[in-house]
Amino acid sequence: MVAISPDLPAVEVRRQTASGRMALLALALAVVALAAMPFWAKTGTIRMVLELCCYLAVAQMWNMLAGYAGLVSVGQQAFMGAAGYALFVLAQTFGVNPFLAIFLSLLVPAVLAVPCYLLLHRLDGPYFAIGTWVVAEVFRLVASNLSWVNAGAGMSLSVMKDYTGFQRNVAMSLLCALMVLVSIGGSYWFLRSRYGLALIAMRDNPVAAASQGVNVRRLRFMIYVAAAVGCGLVGAVYFMAQLRINPQAAFDPMWSNVAIFIVMVGGIASIEGVLIGTLIYFVADRWFGEYGASYFVVLGVMTVLVALYARGGIWGMISARWDAPWFPIRRHLILTGDKTP
Amino acid sequence: MTDPVLSTHALVARYGDFQALYGVDFQIAEAEAVALIGANGAGKSTFLRAIMGLLPVAPDMVRLAGQPIGGTPTDRMVQKGIAIVPEGRRLFTGMSVEDNLRVAVDQAERLGRKGGWSLARLQQLFPILRDKARTPVQSLSGGQQQMVSIGRALLCQPRVLLCDEISLGLAPKVIREIYAALPEIRAQGTSVVLVEQDVGLAQSASDRLYCMLEGRVTLTGASGAVTREDIGRAYFGGSHAMV
Amino acid sequence: MQWFDALVQGVLLGGMYAQYALGMALMFGVMKIVNVSHGDLVILLSLIGISLASKLGLGPFAVMAALVPLAVGLGWLLQKAVLNRVVGEDPLPSLIATFGLSLALQNLMLQIWSANSRSLPGGGLESRSLAFGGIHIGLLPVIVLVFAVALTWGLDLLLRRTRFGRALRAAASDVEAAAMTGINPRAVYASATAIAVGILGFAAVFQSLRSTVAPSDGGAQLIYAFEAVIIGGMGSVWGAFIGSMVLGVTQAIGFRIDPGFGVLAGHLVFLLVLATRPQGLFGRA
Repeated sequence: MVAISPDLPAVEVRRQTASGRMALLALALAVVALAAMPFWAKTGTIRMVLELCCYLAVAQMWNMLAGYAGLVSVGQQAFMGAAGYALFVLAQTFGVNPFLAIFLSLLVPAVLAVPCYLLLHRLDGPYFAIGTWVVAEVFRLVASNLSWVNAGAGMSLSVMKDYTGFQRNVAMSLLCALMVLVSIGGSYWFLRSRYGLALIAMRDNPVAAASQGVNVRRLRFMIYVAAAVGCGLVGAVYFMAQLRINPQAAFDPMWSNVAIFIVMVGGIASIEGVLIGTLIYFVADRWFGEYGASYFVVLGVMTVLVALYARGGIWGMISARWDAPWFPIRRHLILTGDKTP
Repeated sequence: MTDPVLSTHALVARYGDFQALYGVDFQIAEAEAVALIGANGAGKSTFLRAIMGLLPVAPDMVRLAGQPIGGTPTDRMVQKGIAIVPEGRRLFTGMSVEDNLRVAVDQAERLGRKGGWSLARLQQLFPILRDKARTPVQSLSGGQQQMVSIGRALLCQPRVLLCDEISLGLAPKVIREIYAALPEIRAQGTSVVLVEQDVGLAQSASDRLYCMLEGRVTLTGASGAVTREDIGRAYFGGSHAMV
Repeated sequence: MQWFDALVQGVLLGGMYAQYALGMALMFGVMKIVNVSHGDLVILLSLIGISLASKLGLGPFAVMAALVPLAVGLGWLLQKAVLNRVVGEDPLPSLIATFGLSLALQNLMLQIWSANSRSLPGGGLESRSLAFGGIHIGLLPVIVLVFAVALTWGLDLLLRRTRFGRALRAAASDVEAAAMTGINPRAVYASATAIAVGILGFAAVFQSLRSTVAPSDGGAQLIYAFEAVIIGGMGSVWGAFIGSMVLGVTQAIGFRIDPGFGVLAGHLVFLLVLATRPQGLFGRA
């Protein structure tokens, strides 16, 4: 052991930066603005923002899985659909208050994620990914065959008619704020906690992290379940806004496509990247969505190019040039100049 | 000394941000045996990997018969006549002893390398390779696996054979058996670089030796001429490390 | 009798799946890569085959003679342009790259061939059947099974008996040690992918003869190939073949129980194998 010498310079651990403080403020303002939408936005705008928030949250969940936990999933739609269906069954079939049912429905992905993980973690990296897709397909086929969720025809959420348009807008807006708070704020809080440090150690080198006493397996499991719940929240909110659910839409692999595109193009393993990627996707979808297939060809090719030539995505290129993170996670040692006594 | 077959010149190598070799000069002549000793982490294995093209190095830093070859892809190094018995043996698990060896025979044929080694001759050198020809390599003992690994490297028909700690973890009797093959390998005109933890063994099996410390060569000389004190200083460094 | 018939139909269906699974087993075995666009390549080749047949009036076996070399070339190109850059310890880049490729291919096909289902005219081949004591077996599925057995047998022989096969197995076991023995890993990878996609050339012809293909069908083919490989156990082409049989039989029996249950039954058997024998039926523990 090296003894602490009195000659060592004084240091201070810095965990926040000017850019980080500004981003936190912006995040807080955004959450407040989202919650206040009924007072400044039309229903159409709220619905559009809701969709944006859904993309953002799903992408961030995928980012936590693939970017930090090393769990590449292409089947998170399994948990979105499961929670969506749980909401419809609770609210429509059992008459539970739909806004309460949203939170109750999160138990379903949480409980389902446990056996899924226990089965899938036996598969090697790339096989794990395809395995998650099989699970999502199983969920879809089960939903298509279950008569008490009306099989392939799906269900409607007609109980929402009991609420006024304004009431629904208030709920949508609060749920948007919640999704952003949980996915972005929650991830940021998690990444800055002692778990976060362990996660980053794990991302950089799982073997080394394991030897440092980080329980890699338990951490992976926790993130998998948390991401399932996060995706479940998005699913419940999204299908509540849609008022309809059917197996095809509930377990649509499109969600995985979008999440992967957002995270990879924006910049994997960074919250900033997810924000950038979501904006790009959302704008591209508004502008070029009408071109249908050819637009998806471009998205696919862009994803390939990022995987081949720019693994860090757009945020990777930005942060290589400017050291101004919006969500600083690393700890910096700063020399304070004077010597400790 | 005659012109070296293989030489390195101010060889530097790094793993990412970590520099592992700081300007290593080294040479070996035809049919010579040179030992490379040093503590764990001194850079011996890194040195062999850098020669083999497994780490990025500049062309001029490694020369074969005077020709710059540094950084050539590993499979092309084999084509040029350098073969390695890697640390940890690295056999092809799931394949039989014979198939492990035949991979090397196949590639030597493909690459047009000719030499004195054949499957039959190796089986004379290490009879176990014949007796266990059909056995999957993973069920062999450590010493037997080492023989397969040496055999595989020899079947590449090398001019220079790099051996990375071939005695590690083996019983003294087995080590003697393996080292007994050295004269026959050298009689073929093959130069042998021996990375070895056992200093006594390294001294007795080689013509010259190099001692490394923290990525630098700290001692070099004829194996018979260097004293234990010289080696001790070069091995452990400290304030009076340099000879 | 009805169940025996399901068993026979399942084995025949397994012959189709084996033609998808062989290439995937080969590529994963050698490079530890799963090509997510595996199924989309089958569909792409099928659609090219169908267009060739209608434009040039080719019969199914002439289409096959054209498609297999094309598939080999496509595989080689895929390796050179994409996979060689993403092979490595980290599974993410290869997954993402092939995932993006899958997305692009699917939509490109949609653009060129529209979403319609098509099939390859077999000149009567698809409707011929053989009768064995009360069971009618289509001639085409039997041909598919015969090709599957021949391809598996040929690939197994190639891997065990040839210089190329030994190099491939060596690279699969330890790629760095293989390079130290003079093997050029990139050349081996390119050949492995070329063979894997080449086999899909056969699969494409049979798939479009047996049923219809549409641009969005690739995902299902990928999943079936994947399930067959995992059920059979990694590391052997016969494992992939047997896995395909198990999957085919399960789906056929599930379908007899309830038409909506066929594919699901296959998935459930896959999950059951994963739960009880994760190394696969024939894999080493």
